[in-house]
Amino acid sequence: MNNRIELLKKLLKENKNVSDYKINRTEKTSSELFFVHKTLETSRATDTCDTTVTVYNDHDGKKGESSFSVYESMTNAELKAKISAAAERAKLVFNEPYEIPSGEKARREVPSNFKNYEPKELAAKIAEAVFKADDYDGGAINALEIFVNKLEITVVNSKGIDVTEVKYDAMVEAIPTWNESGESVELYEAYRFTEFDAADVTAEIDGKMKEVRDRKHAKKPAEKITADVVLNVKEAGEIFSELAYDLDMGAVYSHYNLHSVGDDLQKGECDEITLTMKGAMKGSEYSAAFDGDGVTLTDKTIIENGKVTGYFGSNRFASYLGEKPTGNLKCVSVGKGSLTDKELEEKPYLECVSLSGLQLDLYNDYIGGEIRLAYYRHDGVSEPVTGISMSGKLSEVLGKLRLSDKTKVRGYYGGPYKVLLKGMEII
Amino acid sequence: MAFSKFLNDRRVAAKELVAELRKSFAYASVLGTDVRATVYIADFKSSGVRDGAGECGFVVRMWNGRAFLEYSLDDISGDIQKLAKKIINEATPSKPLFDKEIKPSAPVDEPLVKSFHRENDFAEYSDGEILGFCKKIRDSIKAKTDKAVNASGYILPFEVSKLFVSENRELDQNYGWVNAMAIVIYSDGKTVRAREDAYSTKMSDVFAELPKKLDKLVTLAAKLTKSKPITPGVYDVITDSSISGLIAHEAFGHGVEMDQFVKDRALAKRYVGKYVASPITNMRDGAAATLSAASFFFDDEGSLAGDTQIIKDGILVAGMCDSVSASQLGAEVTGNGRRESYKRKAYTRMTNTFFEKGEDKLEDMIASIKHGYMLFDTNNGMEDPKNWQIQCTAEYGIEIIDGKLTDNYVSPVVISGSVPELLKSITMVSDGMEIIGAGMCGKGYKEWVKVTDGGPALKVRAKLG
Repeated sequence: MNNRIELLKKLLKENKNVSDYKINRTEKTSSELFFVHKTLETSRATDTCDTTVTVYNDHDGKKGESSFSVYESMTNAELKAKISAAAERAKLVFNEPYEIPSGEKARREVPSNFKNYEPKELAAKIAEAVFKADDYDGGAINALEIFVNKLEITVVNSKGIDVTEVKYDAMVEAIPTWNESGESVELYEAYRFTEFDAADVTAEIDGKMKEVRDRKHAKKPAEKITADVVLNVKEAGEIFSELAYDLDMGAVYSHYNLHSVGDDLQKGECDEITLTMKGAMKGSEYSAAFDGDGVTLTDKTIIENGKVTGYFGSNRFASYLGEKPTGNLKCVSVGKGSLTDKELEEKPYLECVSLSGLQLDLYNDYIGGEIRLAYYRHDGVSEPVTGISMSGKLSEVLGKLRLSDKTKVRGYYGGPYKVLLKGMEII
Repeated sequence: MAFSKFLNDRRVAAKELVAELRKSFAYASVLGTDVRATVYIADFKSSGVRDGAGECGFVVRMWNGRAFLEYSLDDISGDIQKLAKKIINEATPSKPLFDKEIKPSAPVDEPLVKSFHRENDFAEYSDGEILGFCKKIRDSIKAKTDKAVNASGYILPFEVSKLFVSENRELDQNYGWVNAMAIVIYSDGKTVRAREDAYSTKMSDVFAELPKKLDKLVTLAAKLTKSKPITPGVYDVITDSSISGLIAHEAFGHGVEMDQFVKDRALAKRYVGKYVASPITNMRDGAAATLSAASFFFDDEGSLAGDTQIIKDGILVAGMCDSVSASQLGAEVTGNGRRESYKRKAYTRMTNTFFEKGEDKLEDMIASIKHGYMLFDTNNGMEDPKNWQIQCTAEYGIEIIDGKLTDNYVSPVVISGSVPELLKSITMVSDGMEIIGAGMCGKGYKEWVKVTDGGPALKVRAKLG
């Protein structure tokens, strides 16, 4: 057990105004490289720690709580003062009562081959893998940032929870650029992974190099395009995440949710959505064994065949709603659909590969965005287009949604790697 | 509010660490940060008082003629020689990268020893009083309508202390800012969310201002329940201060962050001295350009706050620059080197970014439009500095027909298209302006810092969808 946590436990137990407590601690080390073109501009390393203490005070039939940050430099006297101040703040809070979770001691390390490398050597190897894809006449990586992270996350509370998880991840932010005829264009690429495979990194960046080449050759369509719109894995994840977080128990308790159990999200002929919130998905850096309360994560299907079947959420809000806590799940898993690549080829469609940012607004029933690069695939040709935007009614899009029969994991999302939207206005 | 005792206690250690690192490096600096933030919230279902997103630690920067080295850590107390050795070892890249480093000129380190302080009144208010104000906001909204399914009052004060030490500079600053919000979730056939903000260096100001905005908040929420999607197309548009600021920030501001010039990531690099907007357009950025949430005294590299004219009479005259980029470009630093926290790298970042006011009356601007929209309240935006495409989302718009605002609300509204086309289409600029002191900005999809933006109302021609 970390000495700092032991000290905090001792000081928290000494304060009579503390009914219960929770300590969250994340120790992080990182090795980071920042390139301008192919030259190194900055080399960074970090060794930092974030600790937050939550103090609970049961009073007047209610539950008060307040959290504060603990800095490594704080003295015992400062910590005592912070605990006392938090206990006083908790007395000002009159929330509905609930029991904080109980549990036991556990330590887990998420398997990763990052352990086999010194962090700064791994960062250099990742850079080498990225620049291997920088091999086109006219194409270049104009900027590259690499982050190799190790996280040790601990949750301790007064009800016996004492869990620690060690995780590794890396992030590559690359700016593939294409120069031709005195003009140049770029795309933005942010790529995260938890296992290092140099060939995978090179292939990912190489794909982006090809896309940026196409963006250079892309033209604004001379005529208005009327076609189905296909979004790829990143934007597919954003759509399903928007639907999922509407069904968070915290949103339901606070009446922020638009949908409820029993609602049919897809009124029409479509591939029906089955969405499960998960604690872990292979290949996702969002995978975790427990949440910020130390609750062991339990998968929960919240949309089945297009209908809302449940909610997911933390111990507190599950308690308020009389549900079993799933923990604060981060991974969004969606079942595959029926759309084959062959079927896609049979009709014209606009495949968006780079958007300024997908705009989703459940409240206003909106989906849209500015398209930086799309392929207008029709009559056996694939025409790169840019300078257009799309918009539509989200509820209508969901009612006609098609999901691909192949799946992929990207970030927090695992599911159909393409989604087809009908009825979008393209201008 | 006084300067951080913790940072004061580490002042000597910071000087010793710089001196020790100078034995191995031509330049070394230490930035210490102690930022304390608090969140007060009350809604229909719960309330809370807790620490917000603060930070407390150090970042050390070193330079020896090639790549910059940095190390972020929580404390610098103890054996300084041992610490310096550890920092150098950890921050130095692996050997295969040694022959692939930049070779910039030396960072500027002009002598200056100075303390900066801006008063606030946060200490005059107890936790109970501030939380009580949040509850009052919540209850006032509830009293105004039975259509609110939830409503909340937020108060978010933060206090910043920073210490910068290099061989020739010793700077410290402390200042505060407070944001307040009232939010309603309103249901009347359709469920919508509406928000009003207040902000200041003083708690007393937001206590006075936010309650005045609650009638407007409830009225707006009711209107939004009747809002419809806009028919996509190209329209004559009037932007309110918030949307003008969003355009200044997203459409143009990111493109003149000069770390993007170093990376050949900004089209603006080719347009310095040329027309990029209509001749009635003027735009500035700077922590010292106005007093708002991004008004610090020195940046995270020890450069004093600036006030940079970006666009003058439609011509791009200058960009913003951090010190690392300046050392590569041979450019002037402008006080725009900012970090998300001591744990992150510094980049060129915007501060307070805004169009300057013009001479037109808003009512004349609206009257000049046969059919179009007036757009209000920033939702979000995304930059594309290389290709000068924009995407800015307004919370809502009101249709203008025959020179008059109607009761037809549309929501949300996305502005997209080409930046130069949009800026060159500015034909009227109002004579009033506001800086919206409540923004956060990322670079790409990370590195979040507090920013503000704003300006007068602009009349433009824009693609809406």
